[in-house]
Amino acid sequence: MDVYEVFKRSGHKDPFSHAGSVMAPDPEMALIMAKECFLRRREGEHLWVTRRSDIHSFSDESLLEIAADKSYRFPEAYRDVVVKREKARARANAIVAERDAS
Amino acid sequence: MTSKALISLLQAYGDDELVLGHRHSEWTGFAPHIEEDVAFSSIAQDEIGHATNYFLLLAQLTDDDPDRLALGRDASDYKHAVICERPNGDWAYTLARHWLYDIADDIRLDTLEGSADSTLAQLATKMRREERYHLIHADMWMKRVAHGPVEGRSRLEAGLSSAFAEATGLFEPIELEGEAVDEGWLPTPSSEMKSTFIERAGETLDALGLSTEVRANLDESAEFVASSSGDLIASQEGGGARPARSSGLGGRSGEHTADFDQLWAEMTKTYREHPGATW
Repeated sequence: MDVYEVFKRSGHKDPFSHAGSVMAPDPEMALIMAKECFLRRREGEHLWVTRRSDIHSFSDESLLEIAADKSYRFPEAYRDVVVKREKARARANAIVAERDAS
Repeated sequence: MTSKALISLLQAYGDDELVLGHRHSEWTGFAPHIEEDVAFSSIAQDEIGHATNYFLLLAQLTDDDPDRLALGRDASDYKHAVICERPNGDWAYTLARHWLYDIADDIRLDTLEGSADSTLAQLATKMRREERYHLIHADMWMKRVAHGPVEGRSRLEAGLSSAFAEATGLFEPIELEGEAVDEGWLPTPSSEMKSTFIERAGETLDALGLSTEVRANLDESAEFVASSSGDLIASQEGGGARPARSSGLGGRSGEHTADFDQLWAEMTKTYREHPGATW
């Protein structure tokens, strides 16, 4: 008997989300048990089951910490570039206008 | 004027579902593990749902109250097959009976899909969709227990022997069967359905390597004893955990065993104390 994690989706355009777990001797039984336990009141229209041992994750969660400032990965950190670009464009247009006038 | 043969059919099959559903529901809280408890309770609810369908149709046709039909009759007025009233015994007997019953029900619903009564035909199609799932459930369990450890397998063999002996009682002709067939309510006679049933169950038992053991159990442990009616019936095995290996007949004419007295008393108690009550 293994623990199987169960994922269900509410509608066929929705993503699968974790619903819970069942114990079963094999995948076929796990599907039937999951259907009974998580879909008996039509809470979803499809199911995935997977052995918990087939789900992998970080055992050392400290690896998931953001150690230093990574603002260079976010668009918000580049807002000043927009302002600088506008200023540069305005300066360039002014130079062109002055040249054409003379 | 509704055909008496159609009434007989609806009642017999409704009673099968009601009584078996009641037995299945006795596992709630006691099944081998929690997911199976939910699964089997669902199956019990389905069977009672099917009984409800039969009784609602019957109530319409006879201008009666479906609750009275289901719960207000005397014990000898119930026309289910004897196998349905047997106590659950161990999980192996329950599985064997569940598997055999759902094969029989599938065969029966198949023919009812062609019934001359269109409401019944449509009902049969709907019920068959749920039954498909019951069969998958039963097949899955049968396969795993048959190929599993020795204790499980030998309990299953014993359960199958007990259940198989009485399962053919599901195809005992209903009252007014001749008319039911002639009038088209029951397109296939019970005797023909019985042959199909024995063939189909036999095939799977062969495939699982269980048939020789089941047949051996059927032959060797049946001790035949004369009942008060003069019929030969098999004696009770020690402990009462296994039902007597009788022929399983008599149900269609209202002849039931002591097992049904107990079930009937419990199942109909509330209704009989407050007949016609609204909740």
